[in-house]
Amino acid sequence: MFFNSLHFALFLPIVFLLFWFGFSKTKTVQNAFLLLVSYIFYSFWDWHFLFLLLFSTFLVYYTGIKIQDNVSAKSKSLWFWLSIILNVGFLGIFKYYDFFSVSFSNVLLNFGFKVSPITLKWILPVGISFYTFHGLSYSIDVYKSRIKAERNFIDYALFVSYFPLLVAGPIERATHLLPQVKTKRVFNFQQAKEGIFMIVWGLVKKVVIADTCATYANAIFDHYQSMNSLSLALGAVFFAFQIYGDFSGYSDMAIGISKLFGIELLRNFNYPYFSRDIAEFWRRWHISLSSWFRDYVYIPLGGSKGSKLKQVRNVFVIFLLSGFWHGANWTYIAWGFLNALYFLPLLLQNKNRSNIETITLKLNFDSFKTVFHILVTFTITCFAWIFFRANSIAAAFDYIKLLLTNGVFEWQYLANRRYNYEIIMLIILFIVVEWNTRTKQEPISGKQSMLKLIICIASLLAIGTYSDYKEFIYFQF
Amino acid sequence: MKQFLFLVAKTFFFLVLTAGCLDMIYTQIYLSSSNRGKVEAVFNGKPTQYDVVILGTSRANNHFVPELFEKKGLKTFNYGMSGSHLFETAMLLELMLERNYKIKTILLEADLSLSNEKRDEGTTARYLPYIHHSSVIANHFKTEKEFSLWYYIPFYRYLKYDSQIGFREMFESFIGKPTNHLNHKGYYPLPSKKGANMKNDYRRLNPLKNKYYEQIKQICKANNIQLITVTTPVCENVKGMDYFDKVTKLHPEIHNLENLVQGDNYFSSCGHLNDKGAHLFTQKVLLLFFKDK
Repeated sequence: MFFNSLHFALFLPIVFLLFWFGFSKTKTVQNAFLLLVSYIFYSFWDWHFLFLLLFSTFLVYYTGIKIQDNVSAKSKSLWFWLSIILNVGFLGIFKYYDFFSVSFSNVLLNFGFKVSPITLKWILPVGISFYTFHGLSYSIDVYKSRIKAERNFIDYALFVSYFPLLVAGPIERATHLLPQVKTKRVFNFQQAKEGIFMIVWGLVKKVVIADTCATYANAIFDHYQSMNSLSLALGAVFFAFQIYGDFSGYSDMAIGISKLFGIELLRNFNYPYFSRDIAEFWRRWHISLSSWFRDYVYIPLGGSKGSKLKQVRNVFVIFLLSGFWHGANWTYIAWGFLNALYFLPLLLQNKNRSNIETITLKLNFDSFKTVFHILVTFTITCFAWIFFRANSIAAAFDYIKLLLTNGVFEWQYLANRRYNYEIIMLIILFIVVEWNTRTKQEPISGKQSMLKLIICIASLLAIGTYSDYKEFIYFQF
Repeated sequence: MKQFLFLVAKTFFFLVLTAGCLDMIYTQIYLSSSNRGKVEAVFNGKPTQYDVVILGTSRANNHFVPELFEKKGLKTFNYGMSGSHLFETAMLLELMLERNYKIKTILLEADLSLSNEKRDEGTTARYLPYIHHSSVIANHFKTEKEFSLWYYIPFYRYLKYDSQIGFREMFESFIGKPTNHLNHKGYYPLPSKKGANMKNDYRRLNPLKNKYYEQIKQICKANNIQLITVTTPVCENVKGMDYFDKVTKLHPEIHNLENLVQGDNYFSSCGHLNDKGAHLFTQKVLLLFFKDK
């Protein structure tokens, strides 16, 4: 059941009304109801995997209590590592086992040993990367005594399985979400109104921007061998907006839906394509994952402290892990590696935190420089997206080679029966809207909100893509 | 909460209102467009008197050259539509009669399309803008599962078939940008393609006593229209060629012209003649059925 499906359009109002009119008396009733709803929501994907979710939830819940209750450091450590190994083990088996098996047999083949890889070919349970990371951060926080272990199973289970974030994040922290879960929510009109606006804007990003860009990006990437340089360059740009609209649209909807139930989720995107350097991009893109890696991997490894060599190592570790988190494919690892390379000059010059303040533009040279930096950052980001989107590393290199050598910059008719330029106006319009709202979370609230809401509805109806239905990209991760 | 429910109701009201307004705008634009497709041309064009109207799928669209008919003094138009099934062909014929077209002879290509009674999504979409303006279209769709959604929910049909009748098509209709569907009096010539697929397998196809074909026969009979139903050529490397024998066995009135043009050099793909093949085929058809004209 996707957020942009008709089923969900029926599911959400029913759950909302039942929650506030039937199950909002106490915090326990609220949480029990939301937990049940979350499991029903998850069962729509594949009820078999509900048992895996339940097992993972119980495992982390139980080991969390054991970590806290045990006095000796050795026992704490034992429970902690048990939780980590089992959680990562599940993720590893479902998501990475086949990849390692095939890669290992390929390595052996290079040394002259022909071995048939033993693969499981299991379906990846929806949301496993997200709920595993919830569990991991919780275990680490309990082990490091940043939070106390949660003893109420329903509260803890809701933290892991809360339906708006269950299948594609944002990746929440126990420190942020659990205190909200443990308090009885009272209906707040302003919060719910913001929620509606975020859901509508998220839908616009998904249906109008992402799915429309997808038809063009797919037509170019799937037939890249017959594309000219202009189409190939545009293909990368279209994919950049596809993945941004898709994932940030989903996140906006998740945040909006959660607001309807009185729970605030972490912001996941902050206009990343207006970043002035790659470090800023990573502070604005998939914030919940970047900050997760920063807090639980980068900083424990030493972060930006220690020798330059160590810092460089740490940067590569988190970017490669981030790439690998997205999927068991060398293309994602290459994408992570490329971003680490982009980051390196900033790190070596200690400039990785130089663009913190909000962007303001005036008619002067500094503003011109800012725009130039934004364009450069966007260009290198698009270049990296080629690896993310390509089916293989070889295909990505082929794509880039053609892009750089073809030399033809003419409008081209694509396999989706459209010219490659037809969507450019829509993207420009989207950029203008985003630029004008870069200090807020969405553009609808504020003055003339009803008019803006009607414009969004009209754009959803008139220029959304419905016949070429696309799933959310991040569901596969 | 009251305030919020009011906001939701207001949003929903705006949604319905916007959908209604958009539906009206789109429909009005499609009601005044006649240069983008055959359905639009029939619905919005002037009623015409034809000696011959060609109907069928792409195997009619790409196989019959109206210019050769016209040379014989027969006013002809090729209304064959790529992707269409007999479901839409029957509807188009009914629509033509509803719009007061006068037709003496119908040359119907019905061979592979006899094997199913389904509708084609893409072709269906072209009729949907007129669902409230034509009783023929409304009646034809009445038994379809989605009829109520198309008919009663404003803008649903434009949303569902956005790639056929959505914003892009509406905009191009609005600016009057013509397509090539109506060039050459509806005939679409295909080039010879190097490396084209020159094999096919029809072993799993079986002709039916197709209800839409029967409907076409009845309409023609009721309106004094001469109906000539034919099969058209396919390439040599076909498995299950006996399909065409099954067609004539089930429908003895259908003329099997599958063999009328032979040689893969006359084909663009296995099921479609190239321009040269279409000219040869049309000339032979003229000799067979319109010798005296």
